[in-house]
Amino acid sequence: MLDAERLKILTESAKYDVSCSSSGSSRQNRKGGIGNASIGGICHSFTPDGRCISLLKILLSNRCVYHCLYCPNRADADVPRASATPDELCELVIAFYKRNYIEGLFLSSAVDGSPDSTMERMLETVIKLRKVYNFNGYIHLKGIPHADRLLVSRAAQYVDRMSYNVEFPSERSLKLLAPQKSKESVLLPMGQLAQEKLEAGGGRKSRFLPAGQTTQLIVGASPESDGRILRLSEAMYRKFSLKRVYYSAYVPVVRHALLPKTCTGLLREHRLYQADWLLRYYGFTAEEIAGEGENLPEEYDPKCAWALKNMHLFPVEVNAAPLEMLLRVPGIGTLGAYKILKARRFGQIGFDDLAKMRVVLKRARHFITCSGKFYGSENPATVRTMLQLAADTRPFEQLSMFSAPEASLSALTGQL
Amino acid sequence: MNVYCTDGTEDGFYTAAFSAYGDRDCVVTSAKRLQLPLGAELFETRTDPEKSGRVRKKVRACDARAENDISLVLRRGCDGREMTALGYLRLLVKTGAPVRDMLAHPAVIEMWDERGKVTYEAHRFTGFLRFSEGANGVFYAPFEPDNDVLELILPHFIKRFAAQAFVIHDTARRKAGLYNGKECIVARTDEQVSVTLSEQEEYFCALWREYYRAVNIAQRPHERQMRGYMPARYWKFMPEKH
Repeated sequence: MLDAERLKILTESAKYDVSCSSSGSSRQNRKGGIGNASIGGICHSFTPDGRCISLLKILLSNRCVYHCLYCPNRADADVPRASATPDELCELVIAFYKRNYIEGLFLSSAVDGSPDSTMERMLETVIKLRKVYNFNGYIHLKGIPHADRLLVSRAAQYVDRMSYNVEFPSERSLKLLAPQKSKESVLLPMGQLAQEKLEAGGGRKSRFLPAGQTTQLIVGASPESDGRILRLSEAMYRKFSLKRVYYSAYVPVVRHALLPKTCTGLLREHRLYQADWLLRYYGFTAEEIAGEGENLPEEYDPKCAWALKNMHLFPVEVNAAPLEMLLRVPGIGTLGAYKILKARRFGQIGFDDLAKMRVVLKRARHFITCSGKFYGSENPATVRTMLQLAADTRPFEQLSMFSAPEASLSALTGQL
Repeated sequence: MNVYCTDGTEDGFYTAAFSAYGDRDCVVTSAKRLQLPLGAELFETRTDPEKSGRVRKKVRACDARAENDISLVLRRGCDGREMTALGYLRLLVKTGAPVRDMLAHPAVIEMWDERGKVTYEAHRFTGFLRFSEGANGVFYAPFEPDNDVLELILPHFIKRFAAQAFVIHDTARRKAGLYNGKECIVARTDEQVSVTLSEQEEYFCALWREYYRAVNIAQRPHERQMRGYMPARYWKFMPEKH
């Protein structure tokens, strides 16, 4: 049985992985088995950092042979080490699951020995859970770079989701900060899994990786601009049909000359997520949201920024505009847009109706007309100021070293 | 002004609606403690299967999904639930066709708001409910929801823990769903029941608390967000918050 001490070590090493979702799979329970997956995902608890606990996030081992600079578990770090056996992990998952503490398992590992032996042990854990413990809940498995491709596709037949962390938005940063990983060691297996999923019929009902793949990018530890990051995300969504890209504002856990010493502002992470949503649900392209070398503005959200640059497209008439255009109005989200589409079939919608329907009008009022009437301000400069004031800027936001691209470049070289 | 008092069941509501539908200025309620307005006349509604059946049939004829909407609204834990349902029912019958997509109509907005509070809480409890293992191998989960969601979450747990005997106990409404691995019944209970816990229970509880502490990133505190997603009133039965 896993003791509290090892659980603590193995969890603390795993907690910086951002992904926590348990959605995307509708795996059914089998006769005599325990568990199923819920298509929308279920959060079981929330920690004081505001994140949800959905899966038991744990490493199989934190003994690592790699020297990734940013990682608290790198080979030469002086941290307590521990590992768990597949059976210990399975027992813990079942015990937690029966008490409804968790939705499933998020299994990751440091590279303990070789990539292949690590992947083998992870695969053993997963197969045991499914076959011996008859567990049908959600399993998210982290892929180990450089592991044999047969091991990877075998694992994909048992788990709901897999993820390889790209970590850095450019090959140069990856080489510098994670010398033993390469772009290929991460992107090749992602491409392979995407291809195999397609061949297996794809979709949520398929036995092969029903919840698809995700990845994670660390923001602020390397000098890439937001525009660059979003282009990478967009390319991965298209090429690997990724479900999500997670962004993680850099938190200095490790001190090193090549790494910044301060946290990246959470606001930057927030803006990236907003932009990411625009890519996935609002029909925007990365090109529209930010230029190649640009960062996202801090004063207002990326959709506002886009709308202010494209004032000639506005205002749009809520009673006539197509869905694609409604979605581009700042303040109107997917839910609001669908509500408007449904409601206007029964009659004209007025400005007051929108307020009653809880469409957020603080921003939207400057970009829409209701039955031909305009309720916002005509002057773009006034709109800009009002939007800035309306934006929820947090006064305690930590200043980011990397807001300007040149400052971040100098941070990397150490010439501040 | 007439006040129709029901027993709180769905059929009770439909029986009252039979008379209240055309009674423009009336109140339908199942509140236990009631302050009557001046000059109001109180009608105790005796549930009548024939009347309620006729109203149900009419509702179904207008919109097959409306009966479920009303059923969910009536699970709300606040006193205004019958009036929300009645407003929706009136609009539905007057229109004679589905109205659930008239999202700008006040009665429909109110219905979706109240319905949403019920389904959202039911969804939350699929995650926030906590079982403890009893010495007899039965898993026991007490909870105190704002709305009457016990019946809504039971199917979820029966699917998930198909081979596991469990009890889900709504301590506020004094009822419990009992599942023995084959069939499930809902029974009346006392407010508190004593359960002898299994030997391992304390151990796993402690492990879970340890996990909860370890997975938190202390450098990024955001207590307000945590409370938003997981309001303090739900913490009572969650071991990680004690």
